[in-house]
Amino acid sequence: MTRTLLWLIGGLLLGGVIHIVAILTLPLLAEETTWSRISAFKAENRMLVLDRVTQGTPNPLRLDPELSYGVCEIDLSNGPAYLSGVLPDAFWSVAVYDQNGVVIYSTTNRDGIGQTVELGIFNAAQTRLLAQQQIDIADGLLIVEAPTNQLFVLVRLSAPHEAMRSRFEQELSEINCGPRT
Amino acid sequence: MRFVLRLLLSIAIALTVGFGLSYYALTDGRLFGAVTLGPWTAWPDAGSPAPNPYTRGHLTREAALQLGRSEGLQFVATTDSDNAPLKLECSYLLAGHVPVSAFWTLSAVDATWVNLAAPGTDPALRSSEIVRETDGMFRVHIGTRLRPGNWLELAGEGEFQLVLTLYDTTALSGFASSDASMPSITLEQCS
Repeated sequence: MTRTLLWLIGGLLLGGVIHIVAILTLPLLAEETTWSRISAFKAENRMLVLDRVTQGTPNPLRLDPELSYGVCEIDLSNGPAYLSGVLPDAFWSVAVYDQNGVVIYSTTNRDGIGQTVELGIFNAAQTRLLAQQQIDIADGLLIVEAPTNQLFVLVRLSAPHEAMRSRFEQELSEINCGPRT
Repeated sequence: MRFVLRLLLSIAIALTVGFGLSYYALTDGRLFGAVTLGPWTAWPDAGSPAPNPYTRGHLTREAALQLGRSEGLQFVATTDSDNAPLKLECSYLLAGHVPVSAFWTLSAVDATWVNLAAPGTDPALRSSEIVRETDGMFRVHIGTRLRPGNWLELAGEGEFQLVLTLYDTTALSGFASSDASMPSITLEQCS
């Protein structure tokens, strides 16, 4: 009886190990990830406005139908990336994602930025150069330090009325994204 | 013989516990990373730069664009306040308040996240589009049958889930002593 109990406890412990291994390896084993879905848009260094969500169509990225989304893929190995432009006077937010689909930085225009987006994204080495004043940046640039080079930026823009949405999406697509030329 | 039986038993337990617990942690997740407020579930850690391993697994399974911490929080309800699954054959009343936020949107989706609003209508309701009571409380009718007042008109049949996204919210951020009260979902009638 005791021996059976020991075997049971052994089974439970092994189950715990399987659980931990499954949870930790899942992100590494997944084939269809946020990153693969985003890179399918081929939006390197340009702001691409995603199609609106409508009734009855698949929505794998789980977008909110009320919002407009602009996505831009950046690679910091060629130098720091910048996001700059002017957005309409409505709610908008910027999020920077890494390859795991984790949001490494996010902000909204309610944090006192106003309508102007000026964001610089630097990796660790570039941040060091920045601190040594070896990279010139404009005043008032929001600095984001990224742990990896492969990233994408997502801008969410909310048009208060449907009638404004096309104009807002046009302004969203005019945001500059990518290395400074 | 006995040894083989015990070995098989412990392997069976290990597999069931290991994979069962993992599946539970990433779907329901109540004990692991998810927070439930009445019928609503949210993963508050989903928008943080260093999510815990369970939230990371959840993010991978969804492969969706998560809201960052400062952008907002998404709540999903698959049941009404009495824990019965939401069905398109029935109509529901959403009533109450939401935590402080710049604005919010409400939409209905099926299990694969396809929007279920009736064709020709707005695919989601936005907080600025609804009529409120004098005390700030709101009532939204949800379903395929014609209802008075605020109505999120749906089409189709089967089970669905409600998605309430709060933008720029203090809910579950831990900063304010915010009242994290979410609206209730009450069954009105079924056809």
